Amino acid sequence: MSKPALLPLHQALRRSFQSVEMNQKVWSGVLADCSPLMESLGNLAEQSRALSNVQLSNTPLRVFPDLKDRLRFKLLRATDTVLGQLNDKMCSLQSVRESISNQVAAVFQLYEQHRDSLDLPAVTECSATVPSLSDMLEWLQDAERHYRQQRKTLLQTLRADDLSLLESAPKRWKSLECPSAEDSVTDTLYKVSFFTAAQ
Amino acid sequence: MTSLRLLSVDPSDRGSQRCRLGPGLMSALGLGLGSPVLVSVPGGSCLCTAWPRPDLAEGFLQMDLKCSSAGLISHPPACLTLDPGQLTPVPCPRLKGVKITVVVRSVDFKKHTSPRLVHELVKDMLKGLCVHTEHVINLGDFDTDIKYVVIESTKMESGSAGLITSKTSVEIADIQTVRHYRGQLQGQRTVPLGGLEEVSASLKEMLQLPLLYPNTLSSLGLSCPRGVLLMGPPGVGKTVLVRKVVGEVGASLVVIRGPEVVGSRPGESEEKLRAVFERARSAAEEGPCVLFLDELDSLCPRRTSLSAPENRLVAQLLTLMDGMNRSDRFLIVGATNRPDSLDPALRRPGRFDREVIIGAPTLLQRKDILSVLCARMPVCPSVDLAELARNTTGYVGADLSALCREAAMNGSGGQEVAMKYFQEALKLVRPSCLRSSLGRTELSPVLWEQIGGLDDVKLKLQQSIEWPMRYPEAFVRLGLSRPRGVLLYGPPGCAKTTLVKAAAASSHCAFLSVSGADLYSPYVGDSEKALAQVLALQSATTPANVCVIH
Repeated sequence: MSKPALLPLHQALRRSFQSVEMNQKVWSGVLADCSPLMESLGNLAEQSRALSNVQLSNTPLRVFPDLKDRLRFKLLRATDTVLGQLNDKMCSLQSVRESISNQVAAVFQLYEQHRDSLDLPAVTECSATVPSLSDMLEWLQDAERHYRQQRKTLLQTLRADDLSLLESAPKRWKSLECPSAEDSVTDTLYKVSFFTAAQ
Repeated sequence: MTSLRLLSVDPSDRGSQRCRLGPGLMSALGLGLGSPVLVSVPGGSCLCTAWPRPDLAEGFLQMDLKCSSAGLISHPPACLTLDPGQLTPVPCPRLKGVKITVVVRSVDFKKHTSPRLVHELVKDMLKGLCVHTEHVINLGDFDTDIKYVVIESTKMESGSAGLITSKTSVEIADIQTVRHYRGQLQGQRTVPLGGLEEVSASLKEMLQLPLLYPNTLSSLGLSCPRGVLLMGPPGVGKTVLVRKVVGEVGASLVVIRGPEVVGSRPGESEEKLRAVFERARSAAEEGPCVLFLDELDSLCPRRTSLSAPENRLVAQLLTLMDGMNRSDRFLIVGATNRPDSLDPALRRPGRFDREVIIGAPTLLQRKDILSVLCARMPVCPSVDLAELARNTTGYVGADLSALCREAAMNGSGGQEVAMKYFQEALKLVRPSCLRSSLGRTELSPVLWEQIGGLDDVKLKLQQSIEWPMRYPEAFVRLGLSRPRGVLLYGPPGCAKTTLVKAAAASSHCAFLSVSGADLYSPYVGDSEKALAQVLALQSATTPANVCVIH
């Protein structure tokens, strides 16, 4: 009785899971690119710290004029470049996020339209190859929530004058990584693999 | 319909705003997947989206407290059995706009982050959530510096719940830190205090003036009082009073209990003290703050010998109090029950400018205290609180609450507490002022009728002891002052002591008995000290007391 309503929903779900799968690859690729950049950011912060601690007049380098300012300028420019690159990466992460959010929102909207024709036994019914509608919607929501975590905040709260913040940035970036959540998205994709394959 | 057992939330659901129900209950309530539902529990309510449990079992409820009323944040519900009627489906239309208060983790974040960025972050994190007015959104799962968002109001015609979409406009009314916010939450749950209205009002005024109108005072060229010292016998409610007043004024409270600060290593105590002052200073940047030094006498004893380590601690406290700038908007409140043992340098103006003495409660105050204490007890209507207050001379607030507890325990559970239980409790609970002190005697009550003859002496004693307490208004009307002392003299065995016992029993007042032998001591000054102690005790438990020296 609920077949006609289920069919378009299943198709939409299939599309969303495929897009999640695709986006997951993009996401992990971008994140892999980011970690060396974060490392070099921390490195630059460490260099700046060293520069501010050293007394250049006590070293043989004192013969070079304005060395400290020049070095600082160089470091700042390098930091800027790295931050710019990171910003580009953030933009691509943001686009991944948006595409997943849009897909999920579309599926939920479709469900709302058909809600009256789908009673609870129908949405919780599952078979060996097709998980229940409620499970799949839930997984999609979980995946969307996972991709919404705030990596951008970390970058936006960095300030050039607070070196300790810059220095700890790579560590904090690592702590944001949550392998279990990433794995749960992968698990979800395995769980629906028969469903997505059955066109 | 069967009741629901509330279980703790599944880790994978944390931060998802879901509540897990059995599918049968969901269809009975007419809920679809992800439909918003308001769950009311004791202490507040929680807005969730309904999802069927993965195992489809009925009779259980798990909810994520993403959006719940403020009370549930600090006291999450646990081990509850809910009725299905406590779940109500609510419509959640798309919101046009919300006004929020953002609660962030640290002062640093608040200071260094631009409002535009906070706005952007908060808007992003709130997207897709169902919110309810006056609820708190817990954003802890995003792992950022923004911890909570309090929904102040929503732009809506009807209902109080709504869905935040990307088109909802978000207006940030205020940014607070978590510490400040929690302090405010605690302030909302104050206990009523009986009999301390006068002191509480004066203390509140003292706190409010400099904290709320700092500019007015500085333009008048006044330096506002920065320290208040509360003195009084133990159990009169000094600590409770400070907590209550601070909560009512809406200030944040930093507490030091004397012994907590003292460390074993040299210099450690001073360091801790400085850290506490620093904490108060940073709390004061956000709003009014009160630094409360409980048991001040242990922190700041009178400096005696030259090299005692406490001397440095006292000196540190003095310098810290002197070092407070006028711009530091925080106030120091100290409480002690032994003002004499404080270092005199603390009590000069500029440090603790004002001293508030909270004495043992008077008759009216005791009645107030009892009525507050009995308000939450199932008390038999025949209980006469005025009579009870008359019989509890010298009892402080803590004694009275012990008395009520004892009476409630005497009365078998579940029944109303009758007057006779209070009478029994009166025998067990004695005023704590008089506990284990010199001169305290047990006495078997002696009635006037048990003493034969001596009618004129009895009348004299009644006139001088009982009447001033029974009919104080008559004494005032006639312009009489009450007699200060009575001297009984006569040969041994003519019932002098028995007469005094009868007077004490009939007037229901504390009876201190000191014999000359008790006071005598071979050391110079020791006897005088003991006598002074007894008289100080007597004045602490006035207006009704009989003190006999024989």
